[in-house]
Amino acid sequence: MKRVFLLIFAVCSLPGLLAAQIGVYQHGKVVRMHMGECIPAGHGFMATFGGPSTPVGPEPCPEYTLISDDVVYVIVGKLSSSLIPLAETIDFRLRKNELAVRVDDAKHEVKFGIKEMMVRSEWDRLQRHIEEKMRAADDRDADVRLR
Amino acid sequence: MSKSLATVFSGNRLSRLLLTLTVATTIQPVFGLSASSDSGEPANLTYHSNVSEVRLVFFATDEHNHAVEELQNNDFAVVDDEMVIRNFSSFTRADLVKLDLIVLMDSSESMLPLFQQEVADIQQLVSQWPSRPGDRIAVLSFGGMETHLICSGDCRSSFTAERIASLPKGGATPLFDALEVAAKTLIQRKQPDVWPVIILFSDGDDTISKTSLRQALQKIVASEAQVYAVDLNRSERASNGSATLQRIADNSGGRYLGINEGAAGIFHHLLDDLHSARVVTYRLPESGSDFHSIRILPTHNLKLQFRCRSGYYYRSGSAD
Repeated sequence: MKRVFLLIFAVCSLPGLLAAQIGVYQHGKVVRMHMGECIPAGHGFMATFGGPSTPVGPEPCPEYTLISDDVVYVIVGKLSSSLIPLAETIDFRLRKNELAVRVDDAKHEVKFGIKEMMVRSEWDRLQRHIEEKMRAADDRDADVRLR
Repeated sequence: MSKSLATVFSGNRLSRLLLTLTVATTIQPVFGLSASSDSGEPANLTYHSNVSEVRLVFFATDEHNHAVEELQNNDFAVVDDEMVIRNFSSFTRADLVKLDLIVLMDSSESMLPLFQQEVADIQQLVSQWPSRPGDRIAVLSFGGMETHLICSGDCRSSFTAERIASLPKGGATPLFDALEVAAKTLIQRKQPDVWPVIILFSDGDDTISKTSLRQALQKIVASEAQVYAVDLNRSERASNGSATLQRIADNSGGRYLGINEGAAGIFHHLLDDLHSARVVTYRLPESGSDFHSIRILPTHNLKLQFRCRSGYYYRSGSAD
């Protein structure tokens, strides 16, 4: 019985271990996180842009903004419990329109639906623009208080 | 029990700023800049910059709900208004030295069958509390349309059977109004080195308050108090009142407890939190809204659990 369990465990953890050994993982950093609407199970990038789908449950799902060297992803968990550790760097890979994040301590992957994708340079430019606007608004508020 | 609490307090006599969040202003001089004065001689100029900082007290537990003794600053990240923050200005144990405690006692109609036990638990809690300089304890009861002050300051001598017998009992349950009164009181006498705590004994079923649950929660967040909600429902089934109490406790970063925990259980949980409280500070992230929601999440070990209040209010130039 014990051997059967060990075999099942080995088979389940094989994809993650293999991926790690072959070095298919990219590295990224989570910079934003909030609980939002879930992406229905079995649906990914195409479903998000492909029109209405089945309604989702009342439980919110975690939504992360993950930046890699070239691309920025907004990814959504399939369950409210689809949490990933917020370490400085995380390993992930793209797989069948989904993004699989390696949870290093647990030695398994958590799969996320991809809600949005953006080229990194465009995202950086957008962030600079937002920061400038917020700074300008703060300066205006300070001027009003001084008057 | 009281002896161990006294030990904790006497060991923590440091005058460190405390509890939950305050937004502090740091003046940072910038050196190496110079300019010419009217006389033609170079004069050193110092530029001052205001930096707003968030100060957050939190509690870390493992998967068995036991306090985590060893916690490093890279074991967790703060999610402040969606921004993930990993770079902290400081991270230390919070030296919780003084306590501002308000006990809220439900004396409404629905609580009358359990009223004697409720009073006995509160009496035990008050009598066990070590008398230390700087601590404040007040007991308020709510029922009918109002909240009544039973005792304040030294409740050991004034929380008596005669005093309780003289109070009105029965009637409706103005729970949210009572929470607002308690939170306002804590806000009025807020000090940086004092931990504000509300211990709420109730079945959670508000029947008459002018204040809504949302308004009460906002006021509690502004007071920076942790609410330890003691559920007086005896029913095995989950009730709306129990869910309300759970929400009040979770929102404040406090704890939800059952009536079977009794005074000793509440005392134990308070002590646990006093031991395990940590304080982290970080630069205020830019945000378009006045309210910043907060969550603390692990960076490596997903079994770690973190409790803190659900957020804070910040307007340019002021913090609630």
